[in-house]
Amino acid sequence: MWKYIARRTVEMIPILIVISILTFLFIHFIPGDPARLVAGKDATLEDVENVRHELGLDKPILKQYMDYMKNLVTGELGTSLTTGLPVIDMFKTRFMPSLHLTFLSMFWATLMGLVIGVLSAINKNKWPDYFGMVTAVSGISIPGFWLGLLLIQLFSVQLGLFPTGGLDGFSSYILPSLTLGAGIMSMIARFTRSSMLETLQADFIRTGRAKGLKEHSVIVTHALRNSLISVVTVAGLQFGFLLGGSVVVETVFSFPGMGRLLIDSIAFRDYPVIQSALLLFAFEFILVNLIVDVLYTVLNPKIQLNS
Amino acid sequence: MNYVKKLVFVILCTLLLAACAEKDNSNASNTGDKSTTDSGTASSKNELVIAVNENFISMDPHNTGDTNSSSVQETMLEGLLGFNADGQIIKVLADDYSISEDALVYTFKLKEGVTFHDGEQFNAEAVKVNIERIMNDESLRLYSRGFSLISDVEILGDYEIKVTLKEPYGPMITRFGVAKMISPKMIKENSADIPKKPVGTGPYKFVEWVQGDHLTIENFDGYWDGGERVAKITYKPVPENGSRVAMLKAGDAQVIYPVPAQNIDELSNSKDVEVNKVPSTIAHYVSLNTYKKPLDDIKVRQAFNYAVDKDAYLKVVNAGLGLPLDSIIPSKTVYYKQQKMYEHNIEKAKELLAEAGYPDGFDIEIWGNTNSDTMKGMQFIQQQLGQIGVKVEIKSMEEGTLSDEIYGAQTPDDAKLQMWYVSWSAYASDITNATKPLFHSVSFPPNGANTAYYHNTEADQLMDEANSISDVDRQAELYEKLQEIVYQDTPWIFLGVDEVVYGVRSNVSGVLVNPTGGLDVKNAKVE
Repeated sequence: MWKYIARRTVEMIPILIVISILTFLFIHFIPGDPARLVAGKDATLEDVENVRHELGLDKPILKQYMDYMKNLVTGELGTSLTTGLPVIDMFKTRFMPSLHLTFLSMFWATLMGLVIGVLSAINKNKWPDYFGMVTAVSGISIPGFWLGLLLIQLFSVQLGLFPTGGLDGFSSYILPSLTLGAGIMSMIARFTRSSMLETLQADFIRTGRAKGLKEHSVIVTHALRNSLISVVTVAGLQFGFLLGGSVVVETVFSFPGMGRLLIDSIAFRDYPVIQSALLLFAFEFILVNLIVDVLYTVLNPKIQLNS
Repeated sequence: MNYVKKLVFVILCTLLLAACAEKDNSNASNTGDKSTTDSGTASSKNELVIAVNENFISMDPHNTGDTNSSSVQETMLEGLLGFNADGQIIKVLADDYSISEDALVYTFKLKEGVTFHDGEQFNAEAVKVNIERIMNDESLRLYSRGFSLISDVEILGDYEIKVTLKEPYGPMITRFGVAKMISPKMIKENSADIPKKPVGTGPYKFVEWVQGDHLTIENFDGYWDGGERVAKITYKPVPENGSRVAMLKAGDAQVIYPVPAQNIDELSNSKDVEVNKVPSTIAHYVSLNTYKKPLDDIKVRQAFNYAVDKDAYLKVVNAGLGLPLDSIIPSKTVYYKQQKMYEHNIEKAKELLAEAGYPDGFDIEIWGNTNSDTMKGMQFIQQQLGQIGVKVEIKSMEEGTLSDEIYGAQTPDDAKLQMWYVSWSAYASDITNATKPLFHSVSFPPNGANTAYYHNTEADQLMDEANSISDVDRQAELYEKLQEIVYQDTPWIFLGVDEVVYGVRSNVSGVLVNPTGGLDVKNAKVE
């Protein structure tokens, strides 16, 4: 397994290089002139050209790319065109909150999703199943911003239990993670249910029952474990998405995460921030995929990682 | 059960990582001197929490373009001059000043006994260090305008300084109001920290700034003007309108700005909250490309103005807030003179269109950004002009793309822009920037924002003369004439002037918003 992990880590490098080239080209060729956006609406052409020169945007594209990659190798992500602050400083303050929010949201969403999915599957077509699936459909259907505002109105304004927003300790994570987790919990619940239903039809389950295994052992040790492959895949993908930040939840809760940082930098064509953020998201996704692949072997030892 | 143990292990790790969130946050400051983060509910009488709608970009007063950042800077930093509640120039760190007749020489007599937050003395030397920083530091791109015209800075005495320009520049006096004084010691020894934690002479001093979350300032005991105010203020960027309103209602914030239009009634009816409105210097209009058909004909432009109901505009698009735009500049701008507005008259509009040769109307495009208020405004214009047979196609574009389309046209012939739904704002004391970038012929895109491609030689001459003198009476004459001429030429559909709305808890006093939209909390008190 370690050889496999090492190999996948090395394979990351050419993928990231290709992504860096594609994102660099993409953001430089979309319409919008960062020099003018930074200089402001009452700038004269001379002002705009001064800004362009000051920001190094008048250099040939290839030179700009090589400068960026040279700096990247030394861990230098450049300076934001809008704030003038080092990009790495901006990431440090935004990335950790996003990471914690992701973990918390995924934790309760996965737990609740599994519980609801399993209970629905083993009580198919009875009221726990209906209740579980109505919850799941609601979770996916309710728009995030609406749920967030509703939670703020109830738990912050009326009951005063949680802050209305910002980042002020652990309590600031509760409402945003509930909002973010709702849709994910629903997806995991549905995947778990359908996967469990399929597995529960298998011969080995019938055999286990016939052998006299306790029911909870049949469900948890055997059925659930074999159903988790598809659930882990979905959860992994969701985890990757969440790490990129969630603009809607961050806006509603004024949460200083990566999502809003990226949206704001796109509006201002803040090239260094956009480039580094996209590269970071790509790296996170590749890493998450690797972890999911390794998890498969934990769940089903028959699955072999080809080395 | 092996895999279950592994799963439980994974879950525990997750919880541990999530719980690390609390520990991390207590060290989350990246720029402050202190590491505490008590930015939560201000329950004591000596604290204020203010929720604004956007992030702060920089705390460098010599390099700031957004009102939110400059509002905060104004609590900590002061300039030789400043602005009163109406946006007019007042003396702050300068006891007196004079401008030569040819508008080239500015002489300032400075206040004595003023200290910076770090103990440095405020004097002519300190002013010179500041001015030279703005002149010489090329990275200060947002404020070099004006200061790049300075040819000489001469210290006449410990508290007297003379600044000479290479050529006259009308907005220079506003520039002296906007350029705040930073401690000379900081400029010389630690200028990289200026955007993060500036040191000034203001009533408040910087405490900490956690990017994207909050910025805290506290009372400065050595403030030269004394006075009583709240001891600590925390600013929080809260872009979501509903969240900001919730904070005010819950008491998590004592001031919010701006108040979204749809919540004004609800908040006004609440006994714990007061809602205040102030006319701003933000003018909304639709620029009409006078260089090309069909808008090159003044009758067509006049027809548009007769067809659009300005009162309905305020009711429908601005939720009843604001005032009609009855000149080429908002009423709070210096030298403003009211013009005779176009009354709403559909028949007259149709008549004028027919006289211009378009009895059946025509098709035309309107451009604007993707902001929901802009969309509302453009739909309103579309509906209004539809009444006279003009079919308006709405083209909304993301800001960067829109900017490219407009400023990418190198000559008036290249321009595809016909109508642009947009707003413009300048300092109330800076009539030059409220007029020249919009109406002077040197300001055609890409060199400026004269998207009406308006070219009137007399108007150009009036602006040129007004910018080259310092005699205020003559300037008033020139600008009044300019307003008459341009308004009559009708390069725009004149719409409205925004009112800025801010909400305050009933136990808070002394909080103001000036016409440029800057929040003034120098005298804020909590009962």
